[in-house]
Amino acid sequence: MILGSQDIRIESGNDMKDKIKLALAQISSKRENKEANLQKIEALTFKAKEQGADLAIFPEMSLTGYVVRDQFYELAETIPGPTVERVEALAKKTGMHVIFGMPELSEKTRATVFNTAVFVGPEGLIGKYRKMYLPTHSVFEEKRYFRPGYQTAAFQTDLGNIGLCICYDLFFPEVLRLIRLKGAQLIVCISASPSVRRSYFEILTCARALENTAYLAYVNLAGVEDGLQFWGGSRLVSPTGDVLAKAKYDEEDFVTCEVDYSDLRTAETFIPTLRDLRPELFDKLKEYSERL
Amino acid sequence: MDFSEAQKRICRFIKEYVENAGAKGIVLGLSGGIDSATIAALSSLAVGGDNVLALMLPEKENFNQKDIDDAKVVADKFKLQTQICDISSVLEYFYKGIPVFEPKDKLCKGNIKARTRMIYLYYYGNKLNRIVCGSSDKSETMMGYFTKWGDAAADITPIMDLYKTQVRKLAVHLGIPEELALKPSTPALWPNQTAENELGIKYETLDLILYGLERFMATEEIANQLIIPKLIVEKVKTRWLANEHKRRNPIAPKMGYRTVGNDFRLPRHTY
Repeated sequence: MILGSQDIRIESGNDMKDKIKLALAQISSKRENKEANLQKIEALTFKAKEQGADLAIFPEMSLTGYVVRDQFYELAETIPGPTVERVEALAKKTGMHVIFGMPELSEKTRATVFNTAVFVGPEGLIGKYRKMYLPTHSVFEEKRYFRPGYQTAAFQTDLGNIGLCICYDLFFPEVLRLIRLKGAQLIVCISASPSVRRSYFEILTCARALENTAYLAYVNLAGVEDGLQFWGGSRLVSPTGDVLAKAKYDEEDFVTCEVDYSDLRTAETFIPTLRDLRPELFDKLKEYSERL
Repeated sequence: MDFSEAQKRICRFIKEYVENAGAKGIVLGLSGGIDSATIAALSSLAVGGDNVLALMLPEKENFNQKDIDDAKVVADKFKLQTQICDISSVLEYFYKGIPVFEPKDKLCKGNIKARTRMIYLYYYGNKLNRIVCGSSDKSETMMGYFTKWGDAAADITPIMDLYKTQVRKLAVHLGIPEELALKPSTPALWPNQTAENELGIKYETLDLILYGLERFMATEEIANQLIIPKLIVEKVKTRWLANEHKRRNPIAPKMGYRTVGNDFRLPRHTY
């Protein structure tokens, strides 16, 4: 089956579990070496399976490394493409779900690239998310290379409704709110965040989970790329903003943790942010943000 | 390439840089090779030969009278100031002063020569309030075929965006004798050293490969267009990418709000 850029494969969700187990695979990618990184993704997905996990999550640009600059054009692949097909085979073989990050080449042009999160299940590609907010300040130069995405992503799967976002998207509450309003119970944020920003992400991951009363799984790169040190610290945050599991800072780590969807009702009744939403404010947000 | 236009743009670049820096002219190394002859000619045309000091820096191990003669031809034609400094005695002090110095290690030894020449150029630059003009071209820079902090050390590099084959044509356009423009390039760090032998490829082919890589062409596409084995293109590409560290500032771990050589994006002032 060939999927178009906005098409998704919806799993039935009939066998949806109340509890799922995540593997936060906090890796250090080898820059420009897709084969080495794919092998790591494969090995850790098998490890996740052995440890009883349902979903293995890898960081932003885990396929290629983050600081590859002009090499993005050469490393980017279409989705589906060779890498996604290989991860599909991996998911099928292990019965696992896998989320990872890669530079995506547009099917329609030769050099339009997106910073994309890919979501694969045992039955194939579930969907993808193209990063909406591309940091282009400080050490970041994403707008130089990537076209932004225009769609938020939440997918109904056998593991529940799972939404995707990438790194800097966390600074924009409307992205995660929209994902939550689309039905996501678990929001996965893959990231390539350098150490100087650790404190921001530690605050924002908790805030975004709490304000949306949703689980938030954050998986960051580790290691150093061209002087940029990624702080790791991957985590699962509960719908009440508690850090339920946390990977080591700075170095590669692999952590499994459990998402219990039955906690959502408790959280939503205790902090009913979704009940108390005021839609008319969103019109005002639009109006005023256009006047900055 | 329109070489009249190239000459005009590069000369304007040199002239404006020297004027904005408040410098009294230019100092450059004149080896008798094509790159240094070209920057010498361009500098003279930009700011006048009286304001260009060409240092000839021979040393006994690799002395070549033909190179000195060629350098003098260029100096005479473009009315440059010249100074000959034999660096042999300084090199001997380095060789004797380094406890682990190994004469047979010609690369390490050769790099001492390139860095010693850099010290001379910057001494004259400081002393005379002149800009040090570098002679690196695009082919050598992309291949990392230079000595870090040696021949690549300069304040301005007027021909760094021209491939060697373009530099040769520009040189002829500027009136540099064709014989000099076409003689084999050498860093002259040890006897009988030639660039093409060391790089393992003719500049005519190398430059076309680099031109393709510059434009994001795939290695296969370049090989097909040039009708050469893909392996040759891949070797060039690997060397180009592996030497990025030589082309950039020293690397620092990101610690602060803005970092030197990374995300300080300040305008470059010359005053």
